[in-house]
Amino acid sequence: MLTFSSYFSIEYLIIFLPVSIGAYAVLPQRFRRLSLLASSYLFFWAVSGKLIAYLIFSTLSVHYIGIWLSGIQDSCDRLLESSPKEQRKEIKAQYTAKQRLVVAFALLIHIGTLLILKYTPFFASNINSLFGLLKIPVTLKIPFFLMPVGISFYTLQAVSYVFDVYRRKIRADFNLLRLALFMSFFPQIMEGPICRYSDTAEQLWSAPKIRQQNLTFGTQRILFGLIKKIVIADRLNLLIKNVFAGYENYDGFVIALVAVLYTIQLYMDFSGTMDLALGTGQIFGMRLPENFQRPFFSKTISEFWKRWHITLGAWFKDYIFYPLSMSRPLKKLTSRARKRLGNHFGPLLAGAIALFCVWLCNGLWHGAGWNYIFFGMFHFALILSGNIVEPFAVSITDKLHINRSGFPYRCMQMIRTSVLVCIGELFFRAPGLKAGLAMFRKIFMDFSLASLVDGTIFELGMDKYDFIIIFISLIGIFFVSVLQERNISLREKISRKNIVIRLGVYYALILFLVIFGAYGRGYVPVDPIYAGF
Amino acid sequence: MIYVKKIFIILAFFLGLAVMLMGLSFVFMPKNNMSEFGMEEVSANGILGEKENTIDVLVLGDSESYSSISPMEIWKDTGYTTYVCGTSAQPLNYTVTMLYRAFEKQTPKIVILETNTIYREVTKSSALKTKIANYFSIFQYHDRWKSLGWHDFIGKTNFTWTDDYKGYRYNSSIAPSTKKDHMRGTAVIAKIPELNIRYVEEIKSFCDENGAKLLLLSAPSTANWNYSRHNGIQNLADEIGCEYIDLNLMNDKLKIDWNTDTHDKGDHLNHSGAVKVTRYISEFLSETELLTDHRTDAEYAKWNNSLKNYESVVGKS
Amino acid sequence: MKRLIEILEELQPEVDYATCTDLIDGHYLDSLSIISLVAELEEEYDITIPTVEIIPENFNSAESLWAMIVRLQEDN
Repeated sequence: MLTFSSYFSIEYLIIFLPVSIGAYAVLPQRFRRLSLLASSYLFFWAVSGKLIAYLIFSTLSVHYIGIWLSGIQDSCDRLLESSPKEQRKEIKAQYTAKQRLVVAFALLIHIGTLLILKYTPFFASNINSLFGLLKIPVTLKIPFFLMPVGISFYTLQAVSYVFDVYRRKIRADFNLLRLALFMSFFPQIMEGPICRYSDTAEQLWSAPKIRQQNLTFGTQRILFGLIKKIVIADRLNLLIKNVFAGYENYDGFVIALVAVLYTIQLYMDFSGTMDLALGTGQIFGMRLPENFQRPFFSKTISEFWKRWHITLGAWFKDYIFYPLSMSRPLKKLTSRARKRLGNHFGPLLAGAIALFCVWLCNGLWHGAGWNYIFFGMFHFALILSGNIVEPFAVSITDKLHINRSGFPYRCMQMIRTSVLVCIGELFFRAPGLKAGLAMFRKIFMDFSLASLVDGTIFELGMDKYDFIIIFISLIGIFFVSVLQERNISLREKISRKNIVIRLGVYYALILFLVIFGAYGRGYVPVDPIYAGF
Repeated sequence: MIYVKKIFIILAFFLGLAVMLMGLSFVFMPKNNMSEFGMEEVSANGILGEKENTIDVLVLGDSESYSSISPMEIWKDTGYTTYVCGTSAQPLNYTVTMLYRAFEKQTPKIVILETNTIYREVTKSSALKTKIANYFSIFQYHDRWKSLGWHDFIGKTNFTWTDDYKGYRYNSSIAPSTKKDHMRGTAVIAKIPELNIRYVEEIKSFCDENGAKLLLLSAPSTANWNYSRHNGIQNLADEIGCEYIDLNLMNDKLKIDWNTDTHDKGDHLNHSGAVKVTRYISEFLSETELLTDHRTDAEYAKWNNSLKNYESVVGKS
Repeated sequence: MKRLIEILEELQPEVDYATCTDLIDGHYLDSLSIISLVAELEEEYDITIPTVEIIPENFNSAESLWAMIVRLQEDN
């Protein structure tokens, strides 16, 4: 049996992926969808083995719950039609309550499983330290669970499906296989993008023919993603892992540098994996939702989160932020506050409560640890203070006659946002909150350029050549990003060139990857970072 | 027609890719077998610097092999030339690579495979990677982009260096083994991974084709060896039809003293242990009557120089 | 429609609402402005905007917002 650990395993790239594309290409349409489903389950099996039971269970339960909800909705509709107008409101309320119970049950199953698998060790160890603090002589055994790959991602898809059926945004799917494919589609099961049923289920099931343009564009995107991950992210890891593991030994400059490099690593690792996911999707003719939109061109933190891990942010917005802030008590709060505080500060209070919940969940979603919670709270504070300060910033810049839409000002905003993001990621990556705070302190208290002057910076894991090749690759990626930002499609430009140039592009990408990739002797393979969340 | 054209383009593309990878493999291949030139596992690859067709015995295996067999002792006693291509934690896929590499210029008559490596699990992934790297060495040496010079593009490959110890790694420190009776009898058979059996079979048939005799040898080690492993290897040896010697069961003859003959508590032998094992190997080799004594052959004069260097460090015994 | 544009301009004056069609996708309206906008619209037009309606398609332009308002008023 084939086993591998990620999209970057050699077996996946040269055996699994080509074989599943090949099978898809030669089969007629009604078998293509089944071959996709078979590939997806094989993939899950190859990565997680028997833990596939969790996925099957989730799929079956979500399928059943959808049918259940739609049964309630149908009988509600029938009753509404046949009953007089005055009773309708009451019937509606009655059936909504029923549906809510079902939804609550679904949440209990899906979020419950996730909570137990992911967070019990964290809660148990915190309860233990609390007991220790209160001198209660009880120690809970800290359990450890093996987690199926992608559970943090497909659980969110399952929950969004249930909510969307409940909200009547979509009809419940009676076709178990279609739903199973939506839940398990292999290019996105490990790290997202987190898809919505209304966006992808029908596309996946329609299993379109492979078209040449999709094949070439998809392949190019996959190669681009591989370079991001294997040339840049994995090479950066050489230095980053050393410094985070022994941060006590390094001065503030090294730590600041590594905070920036880690942010780059995370971006390259995650967006590279997304290029693989979306590129593979494109080969099959599917449009999966984008997860990144050049986040480092963001002018504010709030904008950053609309451009970084987009599908997670959108999920939190649709299923936590708006339901909370639009709930009756918070709506009342908003309209009362607006009258007193005006349009800008009025909604801030209700918004802040909802935002707090979102960022707590966001922090926790990444992992059970105080550093992740801190990371969430850090961004919560930044977004909130950004909103509070905004009107003052506007009036100050007006008084100083600074053009807020001019290039220098926007540039300053982008740099400021990126710096804040790097600080957040420092805490995110640090081994624990205490270490994160210590590292942050060092940036200011222990800053020295000595390592740069005497060249010892090149002895911490990455030599001069490593820095140079990363720098060159980043310039290339920056160039592509600027083009994308201006809506220029490089791939379309390439496709209009003659065949020699087109083939040359593939050769250049492949050989660049082969020569400058951080793999083989002297390198430890790095698992994709987000697969661990 | 359009399909034919497409298929032709795809084939041409992959052909072109293969040619480029081959070209790069040439450029990135170390042009000499020293670490400054980017060669890996230098002491084992020292065999590349030996004169053509001068090696009689090839030893393969993990650290057990280079801690237990000292070719210079064999040379001194019998005049046979031995080279140990053992590397630390050597997996069988690398063993096979070393075997092929050694036979490119040498025609050993006897190949000794130390059996501890047979129990090192080779993942399918690394097996696949080795296979690819055997065709396109660029995958193995790609990191040399950091030190590439003009010479790499035009220069010829010329392996000039060889190891005076012929792959043996000298260690004379002592850390006694406390484990007693590590070879207690049992009928249990330690299972050898399927893929590993196929590798050993491949080694066996390669030896047969090249007129070499394969010997499986278990070096003394209280930490790594036991009777169930012995049983597993014995079964394998019977199946593929080759000789198997387990030195762990021959202590009457070898007289390994676990208080003085190991440098890491029974994991590996030290020099005095290696001398005992090597003496036994010398006897075994001469009993095969396959080899000739080269001590007075002028072609082999360098071996006597190496012996001098070797003895200046380990002392005359 | 005129009143709607006034509301929007009060909220975020830097946009030309007659032509802008990417209020959400272009990051002109952030989530807090949307809370404010929803509260304002609900009062102004006496409607309830359920969470399902808060999607970019409805909020990306003044025109689509207006269409949503009209639709919700009819539903009532």
